[in-house]
Amino acid sequence: MSKVREGISESKMGNSDTKYHDRSGPHESPFFANNKNAAKPSLQNLKAASEGALFMAPDNVAIQEKLSKKAGALSANSSRLEFVFYKVFLCLFFLTYACFRYFQYTVNKIKIHVLNIAYSPSNTPQLIRQDVLKLSKLPKRLAAILEIKSEGDVGGGVSGLINDGSDLVAWSVSAGIKHLTLYDFDGYLKKNVHEFREGVHHKLSKYYDPSNVPKFAVRVPQWNSVYYNSSSTEFNGTSTKKVAIEISLLSNRDGRETIVDLTRTMAELCTNNEMKLADVTMKLIDSELLQLVGPEPDLLLYFGPRLDLQGFPPWHIRLTEFYWEEDNDQVTYSVFIRGLKTYSACKVNVGK
Amino acid sequence: MIDSSGFPGVLGVLEIAKNAFAHIIRASDCVPQHVAFIMDGNRRWAKKQHIEIREGHNAGFQSMSRVLELCYESGVKTATVFAFSIENFKRTPTEIEWLMNLTRNGIRQVIQNGEMAEKYGIKINVIGDKALLPLDVQKDIQKAELLTKDNHRAVLNICFPYTGRHELLKSIKEVIERVDEGEMDLDQVDEEAISNHLYTGTLPPVDLLIRTSGVYRLSDFLMWQVSRKGVIIEFLDCLWPDFGIRKMAWILLKFAYSKSFSYRDLNAEDGQDIEQAAVKKKVT
Repeated sequence: MSKVREGISESKMGNSDTKYHDRSGPHESPFFANNKNAAKPSLQNLKAASEGALFMAPDNVAIQEKLSKKAGALSANSSRLEFVFYKVFLCLFFLTYACFRYFQYTVNKIKIHVLNIAYSPSNTPQLIRQDVLKLSKLPKRLAAILEIKSEGDVGGGVSGLINDGSDLVAWSVSAGIKHLTLYDFDGYLKKNVHEFREGVHHKLSKYYDPSNVPKFAVRVPQWNSVYYNSSSTEFNGTSTKKVAIEISLLSNRDGRETIVDLTRTMAELCTNNEMKLADVTMKLIDSELLQLVGPEPDLLLYFGPRLDLQGFPPWHIRLTEFYWEEDNDQVTYSVFIRGLKTYSACKVNVGK
Repeated sequence: MIDSSGFPGVLGVLEIAKNAFAHIIRASDCVPQHVAFIMDGNRRWAKKQHIEIREGHNAGFQSMSRVLELCYESGVKTATVFAFSIENFKRTPTEIEWLMNLTRNGIRQVIQNGEMAEKYGIKINVIGDKALLPLDVQKDIQKAELLTKDNHRAVLNICFPYTGRHELLKSIKEVIERVDEGEMDLDQVDEEAISNHLYTGTLPPVDLLIRTSGVYRLSDFLMWQVSRKGVIIEFLDCLWPDFGIRKMAWILLKFAYSKSFSYRDLNAEDGQDIEQAAVKKKVT
């Protein structure tokens, strides 16, 4: 049996390089090249999968016939036959799964649609307030992972990202959440921090009376800088410290790399005998990272189809609750409020 | 449950079906290389079934062996299971004792008559702050690691007692120590250096995490490894003892499907570059 298995793996390697992949390999298929969103199955996807199944069988039989002419050894032959057998079954499985997935995707999309209609903030903080008042607890610190969409799409590009971010700010202010962390992998938000401030101000003045727009602070931990309000309505932070919300902008840079930087700094201090190895404790690292990145969020919202943490600061997701809506790809109020609802129902018991 | 049916021959058929499925999944060439499990819900399961908590943990262990068998059969190289968190020391002493005994017995079983370790050539690693364990348990662990150290086909990491932050702290300290002793340059301190000094350093990167019992948190488990872009995280609503082969098979199929039909992964680098370039253009 072990020989057979070896044979399988051999033939697998051999075959996968040759014809099988040429015909039914996903990357050659134009259908897949068009389909950018992996989580999004389509009829085309289904079609391609079925084509794979249909083309594959004769193709592989052909290979197998050729091979069997050359190699007379029975064992090699049977192992190849077995491999073909498995491949056929794999395609059948994929086909079944694709059908199921297509169905699931449709159901999810309809569900999201209905939810979006059911929950609509319509630019009024009172409505959000009403939704939130029903909840038994609120996250003190909320985080969200945002994704930049391609230029062509509706709400794509940097402006779309800023719009999504300021929507979240407005909802959080209305819900009474004091800390919001916005994460985008490439850091477009922090690179465009001034546009973002304008965007937030603009959005908030839609929600609130323009003469009484809530004050906010935008922190960029990477550059250790804080901005108050938009540039036109900027005020000196020291005079009036009270802000309705503090927003931190994070990117991939604040994740693993910051921990690496911290390690390097500590290593340097140690070699210069300014610090001892015994001084490196959980408490020290925790407090340093609190300084460098910020506090751990209680709830992390993800507005993509399938949870992917995308390099979110690893130290900060120890007990964070995750929430995302399957197959959703938009920043919508329904995801936000449903995330808060799920959070208020969950129970954290560390270890016990 | 699959194997609770009493008909003779059913077990045999299921066994064949399982093996066939494993081979089919193998043929896809898209099997996760490193799967991590958070086995949550044993106690809740016991309460629901009105049996002792100890029985719940036992059922969890059974479930784990079945699932791991399917994984290794399907070509998974490394599995990491979260058996005991450092925070779990907060539980009642009797329960801690049960868990200690269970793990010790489990490890013994795997070495002595467990065909699994031999059949798949599994190397057992117990990772975590072992100094916190009772001495006799530590000895057993050592024995198990020594006995299986020459197995190379697959690895089973048992996190016992473990938390992700302790692991990171350990890695950071080791890196600093190496720099301090002059074995490493300061510019060599990078992501890779820290990754390599984690318990999972030499193993393939985690590409699938499964957590049962409807809790959507990592609970201090493998944060560094899992926060990487592209890791698939599956949260399931069932309790761990109910997590059987069928659910695992479904997840493996899902994984293989999404990996083999995803545009992004095949052209990951190029695709991203194009996108980034497009975005940059707009920005400038």
